[in-house]
Amino acid sequence: MTDPISDTPAGAAASRIVVDGRPLVFEPGDSVAVAILRAGEVPASGGTLCLAGDCGNCLAQVDGVAYIRTCQTAARAGLSVVRHPTHGLPPLPVVATSDPTASPGGRDIAVRRRVVDVVVVGGGSSGRAAAAAATASGQSVVVLDSADGVEVVAAYAGPLVVARTRDGMLQVQASEVVVATGAAEIHPVCPGNELAGLLTAGAAAQLHAAGISVPGAVAIGTVPEGVPCSRLDGRLVRFEGGDGRVTAVVTADTESGTEIRTPCSTVILGLGHAPRDLLGRMSDQMPLTVVGAAAIEYPLPPPPTEGVVCPCSGTTVGDLEVAWAKGFGELELLKRASFAGLGTCQGGACLPHVRSWIAARTGESPAPFTARPAARQITLAEAAADTYVDAFRRTPLHDEHLALGARMDRFGSWWRPWRYGDPVAEYWAVREAVSLGDVSTLGKLVVSGPDVVEALERLYPCRVADIKVGRSRYALLLNERGHVMDDGMILREGETRFVLTFTSSGAANAEMWVRDWIDRWGLRVHMLDRTMSLAAINVTGPLAASLLRRAGLSDPPRFLGHLRADVAGVPCHVMRLSFTGEASFELHHPVDRAVELWRGLLELGKGMGIRPHGLEALQGLRLEKGHVIIGMDTELDSTPRRLGMDWAVRMDKAWFVGRTSLERTSKLPDERRLRGFTMSGPAPVEGSPIWTGGEIVGHVTGSWSSPILGKVVLLGWQKRTPFVDRVEIEGREALVASTPFYDPEGHRARA
Amino acid sequence: MLALDRLRGLRVIADASALDAARWEGSGEVAVLRFAPDDVFAVGARSVDVDDEHAIVEDETGYVGAWLSLDELDRLVVSRIEWPLPIRRPILAQGLIAGVAAKLWLAHDGTSLLLTAAPFAEELRARLR
Repeated sequence: MTDPISDTPAGAAASRIVVDGRPLVFEPGDSVAVAILRAGEVPASGGTLCLAGDCGNCLAQVDGVAYIRTCQTAARAGLSVVRHPTHGLPPLPVVATSDPTASPGGRDIAVRRRVVDVVVVGGGSSGRAAAAAATASGQSVVVLDSADGVEVVAAYAGPLVVARTRDGMLQVQASEVVVATGAAEIHPVCPGNELAGLLTAGAAAQLHAAGISVPGAVAIGTVPEGVPCSRLDGRLVRFEGGDGRVTAVVTADTESGTEIRTPCSTVILGLGHAPRDLLGRMSDQMPLTVVGAAAIEYPLPPPPTEGVVCPCSGTTVGDLEVAWAKGFGELELLKRASFAGLGTCQGGACLPHVRSWIAARTGESPAPFTARPAARQITLAEAAADTYVDAFRRTPLHDEHLALGARMDRFGSWWRPWRYGDPVAEYWAVREAVSLGDVSTLGKLVVSGPDVVEALERLYPCRVADIKVGRSRYALLLNERGHVMDDGMILREGETRFVLTFTSSGAANAEMWVRDWIDRWGLRVHMLDRTMSLAAINVTGPLAASLLRRAGLSDPPRFLGHLRADVAGVPCHVMRLSFTGEASFELHHPVDRAVELWRGLLELGKGMGIRPHGLEALQGLRLEKGHVIIGMDTELDSTPRRLGMDWAVRMDKAWFVGRTSLERTSKLPDERRLRGFTMSGPAPVEGSPIWTGGEIVGHVTGSWSSPILGKVVLLGWQKRTPFVDRVEIEGREALVASTPFYDPEGHRARA
Repeated sequence: MLALDRLRGLRVIADASALDAARWEGSGEVAVLRFAPDDVFAVGARSVDVDDEHAIVEDETGYVGAWLSLDELDRLVVSRIEWPLPIRRPILAQGLIAGVAAKLWLAHDGTSLLLTAAPFAEELRARLR
């Protein structure tokens, strides 16, 4: 498509905007709406134009952003304006991205902050007077005025005033807010008020001042000074038109009621004023003063009897009557039931009429309804300016993963490698050779002190006192209700010193949990969270011990043992455990040595079939072992019994967090169970329903098409009793099977 | 772009009174940052004499940081925090900066040390552009 601007001769482009693909000339000082009117067109489909930013009758899409008040937008060369469709909504902007993990595009909106004593909204005579008075009393003052391109969009308790400026968003913190925004003109409500060619008196005066004539104009009410028009007496009855534009106005004699039809092409309406006090109605919880015309209680217009009351929402007088008849007999309720006042101008056009309409029924004029930010339509980018999404952490091996072609994804507030290439090849490296996994994300807490054994015995449902120095134990972490919060290892380093590990996603919560309980008990225990100070690499596979020997660890610890030693020249806390089902050694080490260790191990493993594995392969490996991932396979109320993990709980201990609940609930019927299943065919999607007899009885929490077992293994919940051994998943039969599916005796992990 | 360098020192968890009386040694100046009454990160420290037999003393390399001038503090930090910057100096302030958990050591001389845990380094660096 030809760009009408670039086809314009040099020099001429400076005075044109593009409206619906056609260039329109504008004059210096024109708003977009005025420029469009100058060309003899209208900025939107119709309705009374106020050209003061008080209504929604000039909204259009400007430079790709919809719902822009064109009367408040300065025209500038090349500005692209697209009128909203007459019916329906403007199209949403298309944001295309092929990578769901990529950051969304869009403009960066700058945010400036100011702190002053007084913020004055409105730079008219009242605003200037308020500012002068505050300044004279020694207070710092800022005046925000739309004439300077500063549109105030919100006033929050605080107080905090938020404005949109030409340079981004402005946030002003102040001790006091003064609203001096003047008054808005009353819009007409009668049949035909949706037609084009209707102007408030102020709008007509503005056009006249801009040198734009309004031929064939008639005026009702107050006539703007100097604007050529014929004044009509009488009461406004209706507008008549053709092709969406006014062609005549009908008035009625105030005494006889006789209707008079006057042909015209423009109607100028001086129907009175209403306070422009939207910002003053956003909160009653702040020191805010409304002054000047915005504080005047103007007389309400006559109650409307017919026509569109709220041009933004299209609410008619008939709609008000229907809502009222249903019992919504109060302004705030009527607003919600009829949508009057819920549109873009928040009652700028309709509020006086709705109040008047209610007053005619109740005999009492209701107070104006509460206003909500934003007073002006802002984009999501502007609303979100200077706010941030959660920060996702990177392990020190992040760039190593990328260099190896890893596809990274976000898990548990960390960026982690999902796969490096072929996850099945990664899987086989673990099962048959040796592989590295980045487990730096695991929670790591050092605890030390004279009461540390007592504290851990109280915190964990397993025994702690009998863990020997240099040994470790798998442990669940329960809450008071006996629900599983997290799991990990307890590693004893000395009589009064332990290292606790937690899951990647649960680490922060677990650390706070441990800290809170120990504080509450008043026990003498020091705690140091090392999660982000230590990296960890899992060396796993039947050749893992051989690789560590190559790396200088002549005597790797036996199963559940741990020691401190240098590996490939890097000081490590070496922990022997297994999540993959193979011999595994977690090497916890300082983050600044992680790359050196990672590269060293990969180099030493050459010829051993070494390759790193990502989370996708790890999912399969752990599923074959039936290992539960807390937060993925578990639910908020999962007890050890429901998970089939009673073996991790020593009810013969006198007390631990959650014991009382477990004892009580152990007497209740077991109505939920996480179970292992096997089936043929492709692995069902995680979350797939589990069916029995045409009824959903649970869902799949994790599934894997096991290369070594030649079938699908999965974990899933059964939540109907009696538990059955045959279920249906994705239309196929699945059979309950005991876990672990692979190497049930655990020979390989202990090898 | 802001250069966040790895900070090296000692992390010590001990009784508050023991930390009050701790003696630090390093090759140069040691900046003792009191994260909590019982928690110190002593930047530049190589050893410590602390009177608490259960103290946890660990080499700390898990933080990155940058020394900022007054102008840099204003330009990079002040516009990106929603909490008031303390007036008193020296002081350690902690909170979200550009949505990232971070700390500020505000020194006597008007300079300040911005630090965050190493896993947040890239996020913070990108957000402080």
